[in-house]
Amino acid sequence: MLKIENLHAEIDGKQILNGLTLSVGAGEVHAIMGPNGAGKSTLGYVLGGRPGYEVTQGSVSFEGQDLLDMAANERAAAGLFLGFQYPVEIPGVSNVQFLRTALNSQRRARGEAEISAGDFLRLSKAEGEALGMSMDMLKRNVNVGFSGGEKKRNEMVQMGVIDPKLAVLDETDSGLDIDALRVVGDGINRIMRQPHKAVLLITHYQRLLDIVAPDFVHVLADGRIVRSGGPELALQLEREGYGAIAA
Amino acid sequence: MLLDLPSTRTEAWRWSDLSALPEIAQRAKSGVVPTALPWIDCGSESPRLVFVDGRYDEARSKAGPIQIGRVLASAPDHALARLAGQQGWSLKLGEGHAAPGLIQIVHLTSGAADHLAAEIVLEADAQASIAETYMGEGWTNRLTVIALAKGARLMLNRRMLGAGGFVSLTDRADVGEGASLTVATLAAGGNDSRVDSQINLSGQTAFAEIGGALLARGRQRHDANLVLRHDAIGGASRQMWRSVADDRATASVAARVEVARGAQKTDGVQSLKGLLLARSATVNLKPELEIFADDVKCAHGATVGELDRNTLFYLASRGIGESEAKALLTQAFVADAIDRIGEEAVREAYATDVINWFSQSSLVPSEVEGRS
Repeated sequence: MLKIENLHAEIDGKQILNGLTLSVGAGEVHAIMGPNGAGKSTLGYVLGGRPGYEVTQGSVSFEGQDLLDMAANERAAAGLFLGFQYPVEIPGVSNVQFLRTALNSQRRARGEAEISAGDFLRLSKAEGEALGMSMDMLKRNVNVGFSGGEKKRNEMVQMGVIDPKLAVLDETDSGLDIDALRVVGDGINRIMRQPHKAVLLITHYQRLLDIVAPDFVHVLADGRIVRSGGPELALQLEREGYGAIAA
Repeated sequence: MLLDLPSTRTEAWRWSDLSALPEIAQRAKSGVVPTALPWIDCGSESPRLVFVDGRYDEARSKAGPIQIGRVLASAPDHALARLAGQQGWSLKLGEGHAAPGLIQIVHLTSGAADHLAAEIVLEADAQASIAETYMGEGWTNRLTVIALAKGARLMLNRRMLGAGGFVSLTDRADVGEGASLTVATLAAGGNDSRVDSQINLSGQTAFAEIGGALLARGRQRHDANLVLRHDAIGGASRQMWRSVADDRATASVAARVEVARGAQKTDGVQSLKGLLLARSATVNLKPELEIFADDVKCAHGATVGELDRNTLFYLASRGIGESEAKALLTQAFVADAIDRIGEEAVREAYATDVINWFSQSSLVPSEVEGRS
């Protein structure tokens, strides 16, 4: 589904990714772990197409398409979802309006008909309820006045409504208490643990991986993957620290 | 007609460009009226009036309480309004009377220049709600003189949806004791504009709210000049303006609050915000407070910014393309001003006009492009 080869990327002339290679197949959950400054968030932004991140070498293909050749909104329409570490507040735009605009933009880009008002309302209500977000909250402005945990749950509501093929989730577990972590983790499993979908979980900690069990774990250091393994690698990292393993 | 127009060297006109007016005034008028006029569906048989090139179109109108003819209004000190003449329309409501529903007036200028005056006089506790729409492509020049007696209420909403040309609106209003005047203005067409409002809160606890949204692109210029004067105790005023400029356009708001020596307990709020959709565009904001009373509350703020890049990327990451993202965020930006319109049908129509503005970039006429 996703093939990253020898990816080099920089921001403001500073090299962050140094030859990252990774392959993610359908039905798989991959966890990317690593110390601060390793390039984890940069990987998410480069995949999402954030302006300012320049790819200097390497390639990324998503379902056979050249991902790097697509604008951010085209990547979304192709089925890529980027979960933000710090979701943005948008005063004056309600969650419902935002979600409906997003969903219909993607549908139009794929040549599909727009969703009807009734169907959209049912869908967003159901996804909201599954993640503990009431319709009242969904009618409020996007993330404005939301707590850190509510913002992360809102990311999952968006993911549920948009229903992507590949989710790249950047520290979706940060800022969550234990209960919220459970809600978000269950959300990821419910929405994304399907044979035709895949997840790239960028995280610092084991605790989310206790709920969303990864098939593969990779250690990112200095902009490249220095070690890959199964779920046991995450446990080893938790015990021994990055220093011992990334060295 | 020989036009004696102020130059940009005059402080009150420094952001206006009137240089095209003589040429616009010479343009031929077609007199053509579109079959569908932009009526706001307000679900009732309320009065509707049409002025075509400044002449009352009786066949298309249902005047209700509005009278057509000679009007007692003049503004000899105003460069544009003094041309308005003394013909036009008037609304005079006696004590306790309410106008039947929303009064809608469409001003269609098919070319050249037309000048009209209007007089609105509401006796004690009378109320009226008026929505005016300006369309066409000549120079539409209007003077409106408003007098609100004790407890009277007037809601005046205006939108400029011209394909091109120039719209100049000058208001002189006197708001009496406990009376309320709200004026909301939307510029969402292809015309240039100049709005001058001088509002006196002469009675105790009078209220005035004047605000709007100015959207400009291409080489368009919108310019609003507002003076709210508090002359009596306990008055309250609100000024809420949102200016948006794209391409090489200019949207300007100069808003002044004057509080006279005796106008204690005045409560004034002024919020001016500008949004630049391109680095080559200009927003001018000039908030002014002139306070001679010592027990007053006047909050004011003026900011100009661009759309936030993080927000644009967030929208893009959810599949929303750049032009749609800009439209959505601009709509949110002007919502502060539009949402304050009391009449729901009018509010919704104006919100739609804002959305339409983004899909009608071809509105900016070539003669405006060719100026400068």
